[in-house]
Amino acid sequence: MNIINSFVPRIIELCHQFPHGITDQVIQNEMHIEAQQRAVAINRLLSMGQLDLLRSNTGLLYRIKDSQNAGKMKGSDNQEKLVYQIIEDAGNKGIWSRDIRYKSNLPLTEINKILKNLESKKLIKAVKSVAASKKKVYMLYNLQPDRSVTGGAWYSDQDFESEFVEVLNQQCFKFLQTKAETARESKQNPMIQRNSSFASSHEVWKYICELGISKVELSMEDIETILNTLIYDGKVEMTIIAAKEGTVGSVDGHMKLYRAVSPIIPPTGLVRAPCGLCPVFDDCHEGGEISPSNCIYMTEWLEF
Amino acid sequence: MTQAEIKLCSLLLQEHFGEIVEKIGVHLIRTGSQPLRVIAHDTGTSLDQVKKALCVLIQHNLVIYQVHKRGVVEYEAQCNRVLRMLRYPRYIYTAKTLYSDTGELIVEELLLNGKMTMSAVVKKVADRLTETMEDGKTMDYAEVSNTFVRLVDTHFVQRCPLVPATENSDTGPPPPAPTLVVSEKDMYLVPKLSLIGKGKRRRSSDEDATGEPKAKRPKQTTDNKEPIPDDGIYWQANLDRFHQHFRDQAIVSAVANRMDQTSSEIVRTMLRMSEVTTPSGAPFTQPLSSNEIFRSLPVGYNISKQVLDQYLTLLADDPLEFVGKSGDSGGGMYVINLHKALGSLATATLESVVQERFGSRCARIFRLVLQKKHLEQKQVEDFAMIPAKEAKDMLYKMLSENFISLQVGCL
Repeated sequence: MNIINSFVPRIIELCHQFPHGITDQVIQNEMHIEAQQRAVAINRLLSMGQLDLLRSNTGLLYRIKDSQNAGKMKGSDNQEKLVYQIIEDAGNKGIWSRDIRYKSNLPLTEINKILKNLESKKLIKAVKSVAASKKKVYMLYNLQPDRSVTGGAWYSDQDFESEFVEVLNQQCFKFLQTKAETARESKQNPMIQRNSSFASSHEVWKYICELGISKVELSMEDIETILNTLIYDGKVEMTIIAAKEGTVGSVDGHMKLYRAVSPIIPPTGLVRAPCGLCPVFDDCHEGGEISPSNCIYMTEWLEF
Repeated sequence: MTQAEIKLCSLLLQEHFGEIVEKIGVHLIRTGSQPLRVIAHDTGTSLDQVKKALCVLIQHNLVIYQVHKRGVVEYEAQCNRVLRMLRYPRYIYTAKTLYSDTGELIVEELLLNGKMTMSAVVKKVADRLTETMEDGKTMDYAEVSNTFVRLVDTHFVQRCPLVPATENSDTGPPPPAPTLVVSEKDMYLVPKLSLIGKGKRRRSSDEDATGEPKAKRPKQTTDNKEPIPDDGIYWQANLDRFHQHFRDQAIVSAVANRMDQTSSEIVRTMLRMSEVTTPSGAPFTQPLSSNEIFRSLPVGYNISKQVLDQYLTLLADDPLEFVGKSGDSGGGMYVINLHKALGSLATATLESVVQERFGSRCARIFRLVLQKKHLEQKQVEDFAMIPAKEAKDMLYKMLSENFISLQVGCL
């Protein structure tokens, strides 16, 4: 046994020499000990929490454990260390408890106990995900959760702020509308009129920031998502122009310009007659209970 | 043909032509093309009456006939053409806006009678106009003829196909049914007629048969025993041309809504110049040079050539893509992109229906899916910025009414 004890500091020294990890082969070359003795020494170091066991494509690697971490994990057993490792690997996206179970092959009860332990030690934290409100993902305590988990600027505490989005939507539209109107009334030649009715996404962003209606800081991309909803409302059109690198508001040599527009047709004929909006359209036929001849909406509409 | 369409055709035929024509017409619409005897047998009407009904229907272009092998003539009803009867008031109104009362009455007479000779039309219209004028004034035939010629020049009225004049008449027994032809260049050729006369006021003592307009051949009036100079040359209203006109109007008003009045006038001028040179189904009009457009602008529209060029460039660059530039000669060659324009108008109509029926948020989702073609549930929520629960609700509502369809992808 004493012989093995003497090997341990030597192995640790070797690990310090190669901080990226050493293989069995390296130990063998340096120390010329029997395989079995080597295995015992390694196991002892692992259980003391001083070595990390890693698998590489060439075989097993032994790495000196970070002393800070080693201190943290004192008193924790191997299972906890494993779970902690898995959570650390998940980065700022976090990992769901079921996924931890798959990766570590530990039973659910064990996992839950370990997670509670780690949380109380303030090593990990649980963050509610916006994608599924019941799901909790775990990540390291001091990490900032990723946007996909918290939802970004449009979510506050997992709630989608639809009113906020509506207000921004209306403000952006008003800004573009006023710009287009002033351009039209300026009665300049048509080219100038058209060009001045456009606003770049940067301009809109500046306007919204100056308005100060948002308590959260909004980026230009955020404003562009709002402007896109206006495009889907049919109220705004967008063109992309090539801009020199360095022009204010240009991204990758392009700039997005937005303009308020009016719809190209008035509400179409079918929906101006009562039938277009009728909830029982499919049941209506001559001779039936619901028919054009006894339709009250039709009678009302025809009595203009 | 759907049940609803057949019912509608039946009501239209009954209202315009009476029960017998309705019975024959609906029978033909339901059963497709049939020979004379089969029609008589299946509908239980006498051969004589079937013949008369078919005459009426053929006169109004509602039924066509074909000679099949073994010499059998089959008659086929044109359901779509029957449905066009709903649009008669709109066609007449269009003629009124373009050619005032004279044009209105000419088109009305042609629609109500199916086919007529020019002299008959002119006389009838002159008489009707004289009725409405003050005492002592009459409408001159020449004025009515002029309007008629103008209608033909702009292709609103066209010649009916007729029996080709065959030189040799001994090629055997005559065919069971004549094949009617009209050559392209004759379609809009007005024969040289000198119609001289004035409209006659209808005295209260001799009443014409009023009521439902009879669709038989134009009656010879009793006080005119001279042979009609243009016998055999019949005219009909060219419905496709009216449809083309409606299309042009829709495009012009779309441009006016999106841009301004001047741009829409320019587009109107371009469309007017292409009226008779571009076939109705073409995707683009003929290229027009900026110089030509400048010369054809309506009188009194004072914009300089430079300003016109600016407007044309703006129209060509607009995201609407209604106008395209096809070359640089003659100051710039421009075309109107008809298919794109119609596509945009159709899309806008669909969006309008969704907006009125389901609300503006549903309309946002609908436009989004229309633009992006395929989207997942989550993507819809993200792009449209609508909370998940509401977005789901709206999508399922539109799905249930078949405005949106679901496609299951493989995992």
